[in-house]
Amino acid sequence: MPSICFYFQVHQPLRMRRFSIFEDNNGDPYKLYFNEKLNREVFEKVARKCYLPTNSIMLDLINKFDGKFRISYSLTGVFLDQCQEFNPKVLDSFEDLAKTGCVDFLDETYYHSLCSLFKDKREFKEQVELHRKSLSSMFKCKPVVFRNTEALFTNEIAKLVEDMGYKGMVTEGFERVLGWRSPNYLYRVKGCSSLKAFLRNYRLSDDVAYRFSARWWSEYPLTAEKYASWLSRCEGPLLNMFMDYETFGEHQWEDTGIFEFLKKMPEEILKYENLNFRTPSELVGIEPVGEIDIPNPLSWADMERDASAWLGNDMQKVCFRMLEGLEPMVRGTKDERLIRIWRLLQNSDHLYYLCTKSWADGDVHKYFSPFDTPYDGFINFMNVLQDVRCRLKEDIPKKR
Amino acid sequence: MDVRGELLRIAMLGWEFPPFKSGGLGVHCYELTHALASRGVEVDFYMPRTEFEMKGTTPRLIQVMPVHFGPYTARETYGPDFMGRVMQYNIRCAEEVEKNNRERHYDLIHNHDWLTIKAGILAKQRIHKPHVVTIHSTEYDRSAMGPNQQILDIERSGVHAADRVITVSHMMKKQLVDKFGLNCEKIRVIYNGVDPDKFRKKWEVRKYSKEKVVLFLGRMAEQKGPVQFLQTAQKVLSVMKNVHFVMAGGGDMLPYLINYSIQLGISDNVTFLGYLPESQLKEAYAKSDVYVLPSVSEPFGITALEAMASGTPIILSKTSGVSEITPHCLKVDFWDVNRMAEYIIALLKYRVLNHTMGHYEVEDARKFSWGKAADETVGVYRELV
Repeated sequence: MPSICFYFQVHQPLRMRRFSIFEDNNGDPYKLYFNEKLNREVFEKVARKCYLPTNSIMLDLINKFDGKFRISYSLTGVFLDQCQEFNPKVLDSFEDLAKTGCVDFLDETYYHSLCSLFKDKREFKEQVELHRKSLSSMFKCKPVVFRNTEALFTNEIAKLVEDMGYKGMVTEGFERVLGWRSPNYLYRVKGCSSLKAFLRNYRLSDDVAYRFSARWWSEYPLTAEKYASWLSRCEGPLLNMFMDYETFGEHQWEDTGIFEFLKKMPEEILKYENLNFRTPSELVGIEPVGEIDIPNPLSWADMERDASAWLGNDMQKVCFRMLEGLEPMVRGTKDERLIRIWRLLQNSDHLYYLCTKSWADGDVHKYFSPFDTPYDGFINFMNVLQDVRCRLKEDIPKKR
Repeated sequence: MDVRGELLRIAMLGWEFPPFKSGGLGVHCYELTHALASRGVEVDFYMPRTEFEMKGTTPRLIQVMPVHFGPYTARETYGPDFMGRVMQYNIRCAEEVEKNNRERHYDLIHNHDWLTIKAGILAKQRIHKPHVVTIHSTEYDRSAMGPNQQILDIERSGVHAADRVITVSHMMKKQLVDKFGLNCEKIRVIYNGVDPDKFRKKWEVRKYSKEKVVLFLGRMAEQKGPVQFLQTAQKVLSVMKNVHFVMAGGGDMLPYLINYSIQLGISDNVTFLGYLPESQLKEAYAKSDVYVLPSVSEPFGITALEAMASGTPIILSKTSGVSEITPHCLKVDFWDVNRMAEYIIALLKYRVLNHTMGHYEVEDARKFSWGKAADETVGVYRELV
């Protein structure tokens, strides 16, 4: 009997502003580096189109099915900060969902960072701890399942996560890792003693997240009835449906019928006696059927499902190494504001914009990028990083 | 079986042809006619008689009459009888086409730009074959001081009379639709090409010196943006030493620009090379660290493709046709001197950016071969023949 495990990633990056070396760059670096106006506009837009209406639908569904409809989220710290700054109503609506008891939360890095790939793991641990603290204070919850930024996963990261006390971790159910095996089971991880891996069923997830409104798709239009019938025919104890929350109303606009689909889906699914909804915390007790071995990074991004969306070309690698290299100096300042800025710059989106891949993935990168070209993105990012380094090298108290 | 069934024979009416050339038009005609020849299209190329000795049989060159003035140089040097000479050439050209047609049996007439557009129309009337015109630029692009009404009229009536109009970019196409009210269904966009194998790569040549080099290559005329280039140079030099700005190309603004660089106090870091011959041109691209095309108006901008083929990162004005075709560039508004300077500084300072862009450019340039342009041109011919 498959349990449907819905997990939604909720995140908005803090986009940079165009930083010019010909301007007076003294003053508050936060204001100099980040585009507050754009960030507010985007956040308000996505709140209106996605977060508020979708949360309201989810709450109705949870009430309507009396505990039978269950979902999970992970909200990045950067997202939570923006809720508080730009639109606290969004945060309230997540709190309402948390109170139902039918909603599970996952932990992740607070700043949606790739610091799990830093050589020194201190930053990773600290960011996870920050996230854990804010979830505990905001939603009174203590997650037992972890999701790393962009589902980035290696044996080494999994071991760290296990050592921090988590029982499960989510990642991509990709053939490169699974071979003939199905993502609809839990797996042990090589080098870990008890941590279990939840693997995304990317076909069924992407049927909603990417293909829902694709007219070229032979299954278009996707109805809740059809989708439920597919799910009912699946084998295995769990179906991991992981997707960006912005799928609802933002990536798939309202006029595609995505909200109607969502409203009908639980009812159609619960018509089948062999299907139910469960959260990762409830499912983590399932006995694993095998072991996965992931020595190199696996993620849910792009065709390659590796780290190449953020670290695929030399420009990305240089920026990433520079970020990493700044750590001792940044920590040395003991200046909370500078540390926070350094962490905001770790946001993986900044590297994602520098991707030079062509074809379909390139278009996805471009859709999300505030820059004309990856080169433009690199120049801006690098100029900002250089400015940070200058500040660190100079007399910091004076510049602050 | 009729052997000529598949073959096409074209009367092409041009103006510049290497080595008698000053810009993109000559390169275009040379490369296009050669690529057409290898596709079984026979081209008779009509052009003014020049002092250069013209050799080779591809295409068959037919030199109509001397015109006593260079290709697109300053109009003032054309003299008072300029338009008269042009019209005389056009009439003679059409007569030649009609005469040769008795033997050659042309399938189609193809001319380039306004200078020979009348000849195209006249020849069509005489031999009753379709007429295609390629527009590389219009009077609006060439004249900074205000367009010449007579030339505008020739262009307008010419593109309306032609059976098909080929433009070198969508920007050019839009201009013909907006400014001349031309029916867009008659227009086909065919981009210029480049052969990357003919260009040496930036990473294969030895630099002139340790100094960083920023290159401008084009006619010294207002619409090519040399003034903005010098202003940008001053900006760059205000924060970075050891950068040299090289300006290659002739033109009527040259004396003014030399003075202007002195006024700006940057003359030590600016070199004017004058008109560069083909051989030195390829060196110049490869030995530069950045290529800038700051044009106010540039229907295509073949030099940018050549820089791409050399792996030299390019900064392109948004008002250039070439900026339509590649994502591997940095785009600026031609007036945005600050942004242009920031891009140059970044390309000089961040080696990884310079290399990444250069490598992708070479790859991208391969998509724009003359063979592709010729195939598309044959496609246009086939619509009519």
